[in-house]
Amino acid sequence: MSILEVNHIEKHFGATKVLSDISFSLEKGQALSIIGSSGSGKTTLLRCLNFLETPDSGTISVNDHVIFDAADPATQQEKEIRAKRLHFGLVFQNFNLFPQYTALQNVTLARELLAKERGGESKADIEAAGRELLAQMGLADRASHYPHQLSGGQQQRVAIARALALHPDILCFDEPTSALDPELTGEVLRVIRNLAEQKTTMIIVTHEMAFARDVADQVIFMDGGLIVEQGDPREVIDHPKEERTRQFLSRYAEN
Amino acid sequence: MFLTVIGALNEGFLQTLKLFAVTLIGAIPLGLVIAFGSMSRFSPLRYLTRLVVWIIRGTPLMLQLIIIFYIPGRVLSSGSPWPSGEPGRFLASSIAFIINYACYFSEIYRGGIQGVPVGQQEAGEVLGMTKRQIFFKITLLQMIKRIVPPMSNEIITLVKDTSIARIISLQEVIWAGYAFLKGSHGYSGLVWPLFFTGVYYLLFNGVLTLFFNYVERRLDYFR
Ligand SMILES: Nc1ncnc2c1ncn2[C@@H]1O[C@H](COP(=O)(O)OP(=O)(O)OP(=O)(O)O)[C@@H](O)[C@H]1O
Ligand SMILES: [Mg+2]
Repeated sequence: MSILEVNHIEKHFGATKVLSDISFSLEKGQALSIIGSSGSGKTTLLRCLNFLETPDSGTISVNDHVIFDAADPATQQEKEIRAKRLHFGLVFQNFNLFPQYTALQNVTLARELLAKERGGESKADIEAAGRELLAQMGLADRASHYPHQLSGGQQQRVAIARALALHPDILCFDEPTSALDPELTGEVLRVIRNLAEQKTTMIIVTHEMAFARDVADQVIFMDGGLIVEQGDPREVIDHPKEERTRQFLSRYAEN
Repeated sequence: MFLTVIGALNEGFLQTLKLFAVTLIGAIPLGLVIAFGSMSRFSPLRYLTRLVVWIIRGTPLMLQLIIIFYIPGRVLSSGSPWPSGEPGRFLASSIAFIINYACYFSEIYRGGIQGVPVGQQEAGEVLGMTKRQIFFKITLLQMIKRIVPPMSNEIITLVKDTSIARIISLQEVIWAGYAFLKGSHGYSGLVWPLFFTGVYYLLFNGVLTLFFNYVERRLDYFR
């Protein structure tokens, strides 16, 4: 049984079609990498999954439950969208940490607000869980630092902990290392690799081909809003069938 | 003599302070309303608001004050709507100052609101926070941090601008000081009271500067 099923998603911005007929599925505990050149629609796809954009057509199902159907307005009610969002986590390219909160507060804020609304966990429990997550990210000693006191790599690891704190079914990364200096990408990739080893279900948009091949169970190559090729990373990245994939990868190899 | 002068200047400065306070109390919320109007998705409202703000910011406060005080009496058949004497002058000054400063504040607010990156809002949304929670827990403080320095400049300018109300003979502190040069309380030709009014401005702005520095320092812990 797939944890995520995306069927025939389409998205336009004005007259331009940014996503066309996007369909794929993801198994629980697997990692999916999305690669593709700039402007191919990777970010837009992740934003659709996280309800930051509304697809024009298509459906999204989580655990065999249709959580979005473009043809059915009942699935798009503001109130429910909030709850549905929690199926997904999103790690942004430029972190988007909350500057006025410490690393720990960034991790605990949303969960505390949720607990206040629904009852349940105590503040102390949430904080302990937050510290645990930061420790897992190698940031135990940075819990009370503010974002501006952290390096880019540390900030991104806080952002990952923040997303994990809500236990999303599927964690999405949008080029998590693109905003980092080259010497800082390693620490973030290592953390994601650990998550993959712990069987975290993930979708990772990345330009790090070697990383995608190592970590992902499945790769999607997108171009011009279409899925051109998808499958096992060793197939797609090492033995691409499609001409467009080959061109993209060889342009990559040159750089 | 000194006590007489100080007494008169104090009275004038009280009027200055009153105009200052009333302007802030009116312009701070009105500015927010204008700011929302100037960011409205309904474009006629947005353009109209921006046009008004452009006109108010592009013309001297003194001119606006004269128009608000003198013109209604000329065009209305019922005569001037302002109560006679000092209360009328104070009311007209207050309205002119509130409108003028609300327009300046609205631009500062707009900068503060639009200056918070959309990513902050989106990060909150993705974490399942409500619009309300996002505003109060995330964006509000970042906006305040952005608007405090320009607001403090504007507010210190307001302290000095209150003297413009003298053009419609509001009896604020400079008017009180000048009276001793012209002749008042049995004195005339006294120059120093006029100079001495400067001390009031300096002291008051000194206090305001200390206050705003304190606020900025308190918000210094994040960027
Ligand atoms: N809000 C928007 N309004 C209009 N067009 C948009 C918007 N967001 C994205 N686009 C367009 O949609 C297309 C896909 O953008 P998207 O950001 O999804 O690409 P991407 O694959 O993530 O690229 P990159 O590798 O540069 O991040 C681009 O042509 C972009 O200009
Ligand atoms: Mg992108």
